[in-house]
Amino acid sequence: MRARKMWSWILTGMLFILALITIIPFVWMFISSFAPNSEIVKVSGGIFPKPTTLSNYRGIQEKFDFLRLFLNSLFVSSFKTVVIIYTSAALGYVFSKMRFRGRNLIFGIVLSTMMVPWAVTIIPQYEMMTKFGWLDTYKALLAPGLVNAFGVFLFRQSIGGIPDEIVEAAKLDGAGDAVIFHRIILPMSRNSISALAIFTFLWNWEDYLWPFLMITDEKKQLLSVGLKMFSGRYGTDYGGLFAATSIAIIPVLVVYVVFQKQFIAGVASGSGK
Amino acid sequence: MKAVTKTGHTGSKTIQTGKGLGRVFTMRNVSLAALVIYFSVFMIYPIFKAFAGSMHDWNPLIGTYKWVGFDNFRLVLSDGLFWKSIGNTAVFCLVSVVFRIVLGLGLALLLSSKLVKAKDTLRGLFYMPTITPMVAVAFVWVWMFDPQFGMIDRVLGLDINWLKDPNWALPAVIIMTIWKDFGYAVVLYLGALMSLPRSVYEAAAIDGANAWQTFWKITLPLLKPMTLFIVITSLISYLQAYVQIMIMTGGGPGTQTYTISYLIFDEAFQKYKFGTASAMSVLLFLMTGILTILMFKASGDMNMEES
Repeated sequence: MRARKMWSWILTGMLFILALITIIPFVWMFISSFAPNSEIVKVSGGIFPKPTTLSNYRGIQEKFDFLRLFLNSLFVSSFKTVVIIYTSAALGYVFSKMRFRGRNLIFGIVLSTMMVPWAVTIIPQYEMMTKFGWLDTYKALLAPGLVNAFGVFLFRQSIGGIPDEIVEAAKLDGAGDAVIFHRIILPMSRNSISALAIFTFLWNWEDYLWPFLMITDEKKQLLSVGLKMFSGRYGTDYGGLFAATSIAIIPVLVVYVVFQKQFIAGVASGSGK
Repeated sequence: MKAVTKTGHTGSKTIQTGKGLGRVFTMRNVSLAALVIYFSVFMIYPIFKAFAGSMHDWNPLIGTYKWVGFDNFRLVLSDGLFWKSIGNTAVFCLVSVVFRIVLGLGLALLLSSKLVKAKDTLRGLFYMPTITPMVAVAFVWVWMFDPQFGMIDRVLGLDINWLKDPNWALPAVIIMTIWKDFGYAVVLYLGALMSLPRSVYEAAAIDGANAWQTFWKITLPLLKPMTLFIVITSLISYLQAYVQIMIMTGGGPGTQTYTISYLIFDEAFQKYKFGTASAMSVLLFLMTGILTILMFKASGDMNMEES
């Protein structure tokens, strides 16, 4: 028993050391974000710069309207995440619990779009948005990508695991598909909702190319593009860049912490089969 | 069989909605119609347009769109940079996928051990790079790799100008990518390990199998579907990776770190040669498709008895 306990400590300790090595870049970025630039670019001295100032954080708001970009990104990512979860769940329900001709064909086509590279569709989509006159509007950011093949796949797998009897029983009680979906299926899909929330929020939060192509007005720009502009224009302001990136990763971490409990189970049910 | 269940379904529908209009606007019909229209506009049409565009001399800045047949493909396939990018992409994909699988599986096995405490915290820490935005962490790693102030050279006592050195730039980008992504495999493998059937392990224990045999003979084969899933999704996403290259090296030094997706990004949105960029993207599409099919085929042949 004692040996077992010792092994447990050793193994846990080892994994914690590996985990700390993994997050060192974040720790370093975070500490540096409180250091003046002169301290960051000091050749001699310790590995971590001395954190002594808040001026980097004040600077990013003054030099480029950080808060604005942050809120823009928050709005676009949240909106798309909610819509994608809803469309994925609805289509997952249709593809797993309803029978109709061509079901497998349509699902197969949707699924196969997962392997279409962004490089294929982005030029025509760019041209399409230009023709629609949607450049520099949020319509261009929000309209494409509201249906996600991965999400449909995830929900089809997990809803497929819900016993048919539950759906049939509800039907006998006179409930229609929409009612069954909203009252029964959605509440039972908490795991998949969590998994997809984490993935889609991140994908939209870090998306670079599409907002870069669509938005030219700096006030409407999203944070990921803003970070790049920031680094280009103030090439040497590493403190500011670290402050900006430190804040930029907070929302995704929050989403992860909120949904993490159901996340693993959601991933397991979705892709294990 | 299909027809029977279908009439059964619409039958119950009639009872419930009654009116003719209600039968047309069912959840099934509405969502399928929306799906088909939406996909046609934002997915199917663009794919066809990309194929068409690859046959045209296409420059949106000066407004040319002229039929040239297969000239773009000839141009691309005889371009040294294209082949160099393909080579870099192959190295990038192969190394990243292998490390992602090995690190992911190893850590997932350790984390699933009963001996390990504080699993949620550890999992969260390992997953942290994966859930942070690529643009943000790529900037941090530019700084990590800096030869004067960066942490890597200082801690390891090296003197390598990682991102500016023709031999080290691609490895540097790959190292960063592995760090960023291994958590994805950890989490997926953990999920798969959780759902493995207990009974098989009990039977193996009764038969006197040791941990090593159990791993090779039972765990690994049972994890095969998940491994296949991770390999395919990783390959697809690594074939498309460009953000870390754009930020960390800009394809350089010279053209040392051009990958196929970075090349397309460069050709399309920095040079605005939509025609040749479309030709490249069509070729990338074909490569992705062939690789995916090959992966499925290979795993199916090796793995008939399990599935």
